Amino acid sequence: MAANFWTSSHYKQLHDPEDVDVVHPLDKDRGMTLEDFKLIKLHMSNYIARLAQNVKVRQRVVATAITYMRRVYARRNSDERYRFEIKEILEMEMKILEALNYYLVVFHPYRALSQMLQDAGMNDATQLTWGLVNDTYKMDLILIHPPHLIALACIYIASVQKDKENTAWFEELRVDMNVVKNIAIEILDFYDSHKQITDEKVNAAMNKLPK
Amino acid sequence: MGEGRGSNSSSNSNNKPEWLEQYDVIGKIGEGTYGLVFLAKIKSNRSKSIAIKKFKQSKDGDGVSPTAIREIMLLREISHENVVKLANVHINHADMSLYLAFDYAEHDLYEIIRHHRDKVNQSINQYTVKSILWQLLNGLNYLHSNWIVHRDLKPSNILVMGDGEEHGVVKIADFGLARIYQAPLKPLSENGVVVTIWYRAPELLLGAKHYTSAVDMWAVGCIFAELLTLKPLFQGQEVKGTPNPFQLDQLDKIFKVLGHPTQEKWPTLVNLPHWQSDLQHIQGHTYNNAGLYTVVHLSPKNPAYDLLSKMLEYDPLKRITAAQALEHEYFRMEPLPGCNALIPPQPGEKVVNYPTRPVDTGTDIEGTISLQPSQPVSSGNSMSGGMAGPHVMQNRSMPRPMPMVGMQRMQPPGIPAYNLASQAGMGGGVNPGGIPMQRGVAAQAHQQQQMRRKDPNMGMPGYPPQQKSRRF
Repeated sequence: MAANFWTSSHYKQLHDPEDVDVVHPLDKDRGMTLEDFKLIKLHMSNYIARLAQNVKVRQRVVATAITYMRRVYARRNSDERYRFEIKEILEMEMKILEALNYYLVVFHPYRALSQMLQDAGMNDATQLTWGLVNDTYKMDLILIHPPHLIALACIYIASVQKDKENTAWFEELRVDMNVVKNIAIEILDFYDSHKQITDEKVNAAMNKLPK
Repeated sequence: MGEGRGSNSSSNSNNKPEWLEQYDVIGKIGEGTYGLVFLAKIKSNRSKSIAIKKFKQSKDGDGVSPTAIREIMLLREISHENVVKLANVHINHADMSLYLAFDYAEHDLYEIIRHHRDKVNQSINQYTVKSILWQLLNGLNYLHSNWIVHRDLKPSNILVMGDGEEHGVVKIADFGLARIYQAPLKPLSENGVVVTIWYRAPELLLGAKHYTSAVDMWAVGCIFAELLTLKPLFQGQEVKGTPNPFQLDQLDKIFKVLGHPTQEKWPTLVNLPHWQSDLQHIQGHTYNNAGLYTVVHLSPKNPAYDLLSKMLEYDPLKRITAAQALEHEYFRMEPLPGCNALIPPQPGEKVVNYPTRPVDTGTDIEGTISLQPSQPVSSGNSMSGGMAGPHVMQNRSMPRPMPMVGMQRMQPPGIPAYNLASQAGMGGGVNPGGIPMQRGVAAQAHQQQQMRRKDPNMGMPGYPPQQKSRRF
């Protein structure tokens, strides 16, 4: 459904992490590793975000664009993906529609964020949490986890950062805290590995894409 | 869905695009601002009819039309017995044309009402009116409870299934203006003008920045009245040219029937931009309390009247919701509403045979598909109507996105050429008169349609703000 996440195509299409972290055989033949693949998607995410800054669109629009990109990348090998770039953007719009199998509705962690922060008494952490959510789009989390759990994972990280004791609040929520904590760990792992990313690594990965 | 990549490689114009192979296209059943609609059978299941809506190719820099995107986005998510079913989406990459395939519905309320008014000269039986209304509300309740507002409800967008498993089932169609209204990024008013003028709620006419699903309920009220009287309830003259939700004549028509709106009845009225700015016209005039019941010929005590008046409540906050309407007393008294709106359950009652849609077998879908880069589909007729006679005004003279199948017909029945075209159409794919004759009929029909419609979209931009307002 268009407004109820649990009946939406977004929910029905959530992937297992193993399905997202797959390098297509054709790409493997080009020497692309899983790390390269992740770097490429990260690079594309950053690119979309920068592009969006120039045309001044809202964060939810950016997030949707990145999600579409990641959905397409989860479905196709880079030959198919890369044929996009050459021709006109208009033509690409239709190809993306097709690659998305016409499923366009996306739910984002932003929607529930401010309400949950208020409820947790963490209004002062709004900016930090919002930034954390933005960064989750540098990963494939949106393809794998329900958005409210991603939001909770960000709140969880923010409460640790801010030294805010929130255990009771989290326990009252009827969610699987193991999943929330696992998402949080993934995010923290990403920040760790992000320090090691250099332009050379990104360029090397990008060079493995078909021209 | 949408398995077909177009046959890009082929340059032979006799070759069909791959996706088209699964259909036998019978002919054109409609045409509008946004493109063409064809009737087709599925080859693997001949009993199943499909309406294929072809969107006009995007012009330079426009991309896929926002109408198409909205329609795809919403219809891909939703599923309800009283909402039209999107069976497939196809893209023809060679000419960048986009196609939506829907389950075909033979009838629509515009045609049903017209048949009763102009042909059988007799009102629609109570069972049918009630069943149609109930199913319409049932579908709308589903949409609204999922935060979808349709924004373009009118008789031609309410379809009714013909013979078959779902005979007499109502389907809400044309989601080109629909959107999710939960947490919009911008005020909905920035989406441009919505709802065809006769069915447009007063808060829209008065320039409300924010509006809700109540705008759909107003339209349902107008449709309900039209089912009862066979005449549009508020037939305002649209001021065209600039796209403006504010339509003085439409407000005048409404106030004449429902009386002057007051702050007492509608507290937020004074905050509406056009109410404030147009003191002279609106507030200067005093309307007598005419009385809706005389217009619809119902006693004020009749539950049907009670329900209708609750749908036509000025204050959108007080207006009845779809969920509340379904619980109304009207639906709990005889005759009870049924699944097949067209066949009354009691034996012995006369069954009205509604005409089938005229099919123009002279226009071949393949002729409209280019295997070369994009060419906008031309309507093939530069004649725009200057003859806005009263009949014109009573028909669909307003700018509208193309409804799935309930759009401007090839031609209005009742005009001599109709019989010819419809007989030819009945042939179901055969072309009895040979192609040249068919083309002739179609062209003639087209001309009449043009004259009758006076659709400003053919010559002028109808909904320019929407073209620009591309947002998710």
